[in-house]
Amino acid sequence: MPYIALARTRLAVPRSMFAALPYFALLLVALALPLAGQEYWTVIATRAAIYWVLVSGLNLVVGFAGQLAIGYVALLTLGAYTASVLVERAGVHPFLALAAAAVVGAMAGVVVGLPALRLRTFYFAMTTLGFATIVTQVALAWTGVTGGGIGVPGPSLAAPFDTAQGFYLLCIALAAACTWMTLNAANSRFGRSLVAIRDAEVAAEACGVAKARLLMLVFLFSGALAGIAGGLFATLQSYITPDAFTFDLSVLFFIAILIGGRGSVLGPLLATLLLTALPEFAAPLVAWSTFLYAALLLVIVLLVPGGIADVLDFRSRRALPSGRAVVPRIQLLPALLSYGVSRDDLTLRGIALSFGAVRAIDGLDLDLRPGEVHGLIGPNGSGKTTTLNAICGFAVPQSGTVRIGGTTLPLGAAPRRAAAGIGRTFQTPRIVGEASVIDNVMIGGTILGRATLIETLLTLPRHRREEAALRDRAMTALRLVGLEALAAIRADRLQHSELRFVEIARALMPTPRFLLLDEPAAGLSAIEIERLGQLVVAISRQGTGVLLVEHHADLIFAVCDRVTVLNLGQTLASGTPAEIQAHRDVVEAYLGR
Amino acid sequence: MLASIIASGLALGAVYALIGITYNVMFAASRVMSFTAGQLGMLGGVFGALFVGRLGVPGPVGLVLTLAACAAVGVLTEIIAVRPVLASLEKHLYVLSTLAAALLIQQLTAIEWSTEPQPFPRLLGLGSGILDEKFWLPVLACAAVIGGLEWMYRRTLVGRAFIAIAEDNFAARALGLPERRLRMASFALAGAVAGLAGFSSGQLLLAFFANGAMLNFYGFVPVALGGLGNNRGAVLGGLALGLFQQAANFTVGGVFASVLVFTVFIVVLLAAPQGLFGAPAVRRV
Amino acid sequence: MTTRRNLVLGAAAAPLLGRLAVAQSAAVPAGEPLRIGWLAALTGASSAPAVGFNRGVVFAADELNAAGGVQGRKVEIITRDTQGDPTKAVNATQELISRAKVHAIWGPTNSGEALATTPIMARAKMPCVHPCVVDSLIDPVKFPNAFRMAPSNGQWDDAVRAYLLNTLEVRDVAVFGDTTGYGTSAVAASVAAFAKDSANVVNQSLIDATQPDVTPDMLRAKTAGARAIVVWSVSVGMLSRLMNVRNALGWDVPIVGHPSLGSGEIRGLLEKPGNWEKVFMVGYRSCSFGEDGKLPERSQAFVAKLAGKVALHDTSLWWVACGYDAVKLIAAAVESSGASTSEAIIGAWNHTTAYPGIFGDYSYSPENHNGYPQADVVMSRANSQRDGTFALAPGFA
Repeated sequence: MPYIALARTRLAVPRSMFAALPYFALLLVALALPLAGQEYWTVIATRAAIYWVLVSGLNLVVGFAGQLAIGYVALLTLGAYTASVLVERAGVHPFLALAAAAVVGAMAGVVVGLPALRLRTFYFAMTTLGFATIVTQVALAWTGVTGGGIGVPGPSLAAPFDTAQGFYLLCIALAAACTWMTLNAANSRFGRSLVAIRDAEVAAEACGVAKARLLMLVFLFSGALAGIAGGLFATLQSYITPDAFTFDLSVLFFIAILIGGRGSVLGPLLATLLLTALPEFAAPLVAWSTFLYAALLLVIVLLVPGGIADVLDFRSRRALPSGRAVVPRIQLLPALLSYGVSRDDLTLRGIALSFGAVRAIDGLDLDLRPGEVHGLIGPNGSGKTTTLNAICGFAVPQSGTVRIGGTTLPLGAAPRRAAAGIGRTFQTPRIVGEASVIDNVMIGGTILGRATLIETLLTLPRHRREEAALRDRAMTALRLVGLEALAAIRADRLQHSELRFVEIARALMPTPRFLLLDEPAAGLSAIEIERLGQLVVAISRQGTGVLLVEHHADLIFAVCDRVTVLNLGQTLASGTPAEIQAHRDVVEAYLGR
Repeated sequence: MLASIIASGLALGAVYALIGITYNVMFAASRVMSFTAGQLGMLGGVFGALFVGRLGVPGPVGLVLTLAACAAVGVLTEIIAVRPVLASLEKHLYVLSTLAAALLIQQLTAIEWSTEPQPFPRLLGLGSGILDEKFWLPVLACAAVIGGLEWMYRRTLVGRAFIAIAEDNFAARALGLPERRLRMASFALAGAVAGLAGFSSGQLLLAFFANGAMLNFYGFVPVALGGLGNNRGAVLGGLALGLFQQAANFTVGGVFASVLVFTVFIVVLLAAPQGLFGAPAVRRV
Repeated sequence: MTTRRNLVLGAAAAPLLGRLAVAQSAAVPAGEPLRIGWLAALTGASSAPAVGFNRGVVFAADELNAAGGVQGRKVEIITRDTQGDPTKAVNATQELISRAKVHAIWGPTNSGEALATTPIMARAKMPCVHPCVVDSLIDPVKFPNAFRMAPSNGQWDDAVRAYLLNTLEVRDVAVFGDTTGYGTSAVAASVAAFAKDSANVVNQSLIDATQPDVTPDMLRAKTAGARAIVVWSVSVGMLSRLMNVRNALGWDVPIVGHPSLGSGEIRGLLEKPGNWEKVFMVGYRSCSFGEDGKLPERSQAFVAKLAGKVALHDTSLWWVACGYDAVKLIAAAVESSGASTSEAIIGAWNHTTAYPGIFGDYSYSPENHNGYPQADVVMSRANSQRDGTFALAPGFA
C-alpha cells in the first residue's frame, strides 16, 4: 500500500499536465481554423466561443452548484442590449460598453439567483423561465431605449477586431480565459463547496460552507460572463432584435452543461462546441433541432447521467483492488490535531425540542469535555440524533442553551458550527459521490481558506499556497484513516465502511474541538469496529471532545469515558460505563439483561 | 367591463387551477413536479380539435377520446421520464427528464400539427356574450374535477390508496399497496384532468402548440401560491391568478400585465416559499 | 397540417428533379452555374409566406433552366431554412456567402432576420433583394447592396391611412399590434404617421398574440371612441379573435391593416363567417380582382402558366409572384450586365426603370432602393380570397 501511495504522488505533476492536454489541443485547433480560409466556419466557431463564455459561467451554477437555472438567455439579452445601446445611443467605447454589460449581467445574475436561496429546484427553474419571458417583453416595450421590435445595431469594434478573423481571435482569447478561470474555480474550495451544496448540502453546511454567500458570488460571476457573452453576441449578430433571443438558446446553454456532465469543465466545453456546430452539419433537420436536443437530453439523463465527462472518465472504469482493509495510522494524529490550551466544555442546558406534538427532547442537560469520549445511547426514538442535530444547528430547539465555555452558540445556524469548532459525521454518510475521495476530505477544510474568489480565478499566490497546504493536510488525514491509496478515486466507488472513515477524515480537517459521530460503527465489520474504537480514543486523547451516538453497546463501553442514556427525550442515567452497566433502570429498559 | 373581467378571469383561472391540480396529482403519487403538466393541457385542445373539428367525431365521443389520449400520454410520461429517475429522487433528475419530455411533446406538436393556432369547434352552441360557453365550460370542468376528486378520495378504495401513497410512500408499499400501478393510474388521472382543461378551454385558447409553455407557467403559479399538493389551494390560487391577470389586462394591457403578474408571483413566492396555504416541511437530517 | 409539410418537402425536392431533367436534356447550360442563395423561413412559426415565395422561386428557376439558363449558365437555387430565427439566419448568410459562394441572395423574408443579415451582406457586398417591410432596412448609403422588392412598412401604412382618411372618412382610430418585434415597431410607426396627418389615434395597444381574450383591448378602444381598428400583426389567432370580439360586442367598425387579415386560416377560427365582413387588408393591384372578377392581364397570364404546376389555393398569389420576380430580377441583372459579379448585378439594378415583374413594376436608382410603386399598393376585402387573390376593397376600381 505505501508503495502505491508513493507512485501516485510521483505521478501527480504529469497527470495535471495530462489533464490540460485536451484544452491545449482545442486551442490549437481553434487558432488554426482561420487558416482553412473559410469565413463561414470562422463565424460558427466565433459563435461557439461566445456561447462558451456564457456556458462556462453557467456551468458553475448548473453543473457545479446544481441550481437549475433554465432561462439564462435573459442575461445574454441584457448584456447584448446594454452593450449595443451604450455604443449606439451614448457613444461609449465598445470595450467600456462590454465592461458595462458585464456589470449589468452580474447584477441581473444576482437577481435571477436570489430566489435560489429560498426556493427548491423546480420552483427555482420556473422563476428563471419567467425572468426570461419578462426581459424579452421589456426589451420590446421599452422602445425609446431598446428600439423595440426594430432593435439596435450591435457594437462594431475598432481594428484589429473589425474583421471576422480579428473578432474571432478576440472571442477565442476570452473563451480561453473563461476556461482557465472556471477550471481554477472548479479546483478550489469554491468549486468543491459548490459540488457539496449540490450533492451533500447538509454535509456542506456542517463543514461551514456559507451557501448564500457562495451562491451569490457564483451568480455574480456567471452573470458577468453572460453579460460579456451578450455584448459579443450583439457584435456577431451585427444587429439585435428581441426575436434573436429565443428560448431555444436557453435550452442549448442548459442542455450543453448536462450533456457535458455535471461537475466537469471539459465536458460542457465539448458539448457547447457540439451543439453549436451540429445544426450546421444537419441543415435539412433544422425544424427538428430542438426536438433532437430534447431527445438527447432525455437519453443522457436516463442512460448516462454523467454526460460526456463520464464517458471520458476512463480512470474510473479501472477496477479497484479487492479485499482492501482500512488500517488507521494513529501515530499520525499529532500532525493533524494540535490544540492550544483551551479546555472549555460544550454544555447543553434545558434543551427542549418537539416536532409538532411529538417531544423529541424534553429538557436535556449534557456536558462534553475535551479529551473525553462521551457515549450517547438509548432506544430508537429516544432523541439521540436530535440531540446531535440540536448541537450542530440542524434542529432548532424551542428552548435551552448550547454553550462552549462562556460563549453561547446561536440555536440553528448550522453553517456557523464548523467555525465554532464542532465537526460531525452522519448516520448515512453524506459524501459527494462524483468527487474524488481527497476532494471530499478537502471540503472539510473549507473554513481554513482565506483567498477570495478573484484570487482563486486568477490563481494568485495566496490561493496557490492555501490550496497546496489544504491538499497536504487532506492527504495526512487520509493517511491517518488509512485511505491514502484511494485519494484520487471517485468517492461513490468506495465501500460503505470506507466512506465512514472518509467522513471522519473530513470532519478532522479543521481541527474540531468537538467531534460528533452519529452511529459510526453501523455497517462495519468486527475488526473495523475495533480499529474505529482505537481511532476514536486516540482522537479524544489529542484533546478533542467526542460525542459518540451508537447502538453497539460493546463499542460504547469499551471506548467511552462517560455515558448518557436517553429515553423518551430525557436523561435516564448518566455516568461512567461501569456505573451505567450497573444501573438498574438502564439494564431493564435498554440493555435488556 | 367588470363582467368581462370576471367572465374571462374565472374561465382562465379555472384552466390554471386544473393544470395546478394536474401538477398536484402527479406530485402526490411520485414526489415529482413534471414540466409536462402544461403540455398535456395543450394536447387536450389539440386532440379535441383533431377529433371533433377535423375528424367530425360527435362532441361527447371526442371528449372521451381526448381524455383517453391525454391519459395515455400521461402514462407514457410516467414510464419514460419519471419512473427511471425515481430511484435517485434527491438528484432532481426528474426536472431534466420531464423538461425533455415536455419539449418533445411541444416540438412534435409544432411539427406534426401546426405552428399556427387552429380552430376548436363549438361544442354545445349555448350562450353568447359573457355567458358564452367558452367562458363557463372551463369553470364547469373545474367544479366537476374538484367534486370528482373529493368524492374519489373520500368514498372509493382507489382514492384512499392514492392518499396513502401521497402521505407515506414507503409505509404504503409496506402495507402491500401496488405502488407502481397506483402511480401509473394517477399519471393517467393527471393526464385526463389536464386534457379536460385543454378540451373545455379549446374555444378560448384554440388548439395551439405554444399554449403548453404558457399553461406550464401559469398552471404552476396556483401550485406555488396554494401550496404543493393542496388542491383547494390550487383552485383558489388559480381563480385569483385568472382574475388578477385579466384585471391587469383590462387596466394596463399586454406587456405590462405579464410583467405585473410575474412580479407579484415572485414576491409572494419569496415571502411564502411553502405557499399561502402551506405544505409540510421536510426533515433534512 | 400534412398538406403544408408535404408541399414544403415537395418544393424542396423539385429543384433536384429539375436538375436531373436538365442534365438529361440536350440543352445543357455551359459555364459556371448562377448560384442564388435563398434564405427562407420554411418551417417554424409564421412560415406561410416563405412557403409561398418558395413556389415562385422554384418555378422561376425551372422555367429559366428549361429555356437554356441565363446566358447559357444554369440557375442553381441554394435554399437555407432559417425558421425565422435571426441567429440561424446569420449563420446561413455566412454559409451562403463564404462557403456556397452564391452570386446574389434573395431573402430573408422576416424583418427580424433581415435586420441582422443586411449589415453582414453589406460587408461582403453581396447583392440582395428581399421583401421585408421595415423601413430602415433600405439605405443606399449604408447598404448599397440591398434592394427591396415589396412595399415598405411606410407604404403599407400610407395605403391604410389613405383608405381610412379618404375613402372611409374615419379620423378616430385605434392602432393594435402584437408584442413581437414587428408588431411593436409597426404600431409605433403607424401612430406617428396618423398623428402627422392630424388624425386621432384614440387608443393604441400591444397584445400578446397568445392572449386568449382580447375583449379588454377592444373595449378600451370602444370606450375611447375609436371609429376604426388598425391592426399590424401576422398572428391569425389574434386577428380572428379581434374580429370575433368586434361582432360579439355588436360594434360596427371596420378593421383595417396587415395582409394576414386575409389569411385562409382565419376562416376556421371565426365564430361566424359574417365576422369577416368589413375587414380590409393591404393588397396589391397585380393580385386583386375587380368587380368583373378579373385580374390584370399580366397576372392572368401568370396564373394560367402556373395552373396544374403550382398550387395557389392555400397561399397568396403575391408571395408566389414575388418569389418568381426575385429570381427573374437577379437573372435579368446578370443578363443585361453580362456578368455575375457583385458590381455588375448591383450596377444593373441601380439602373432599373419599371422592370415588368408579375407582382409589380420595379424601379431602382442609385439613390432609391425601394422599388415597389406606391400606386400598386391597394386595399382588398379580407374575406374574398380566391386562389390566392383578393377582391379590391370598395372605393378602388
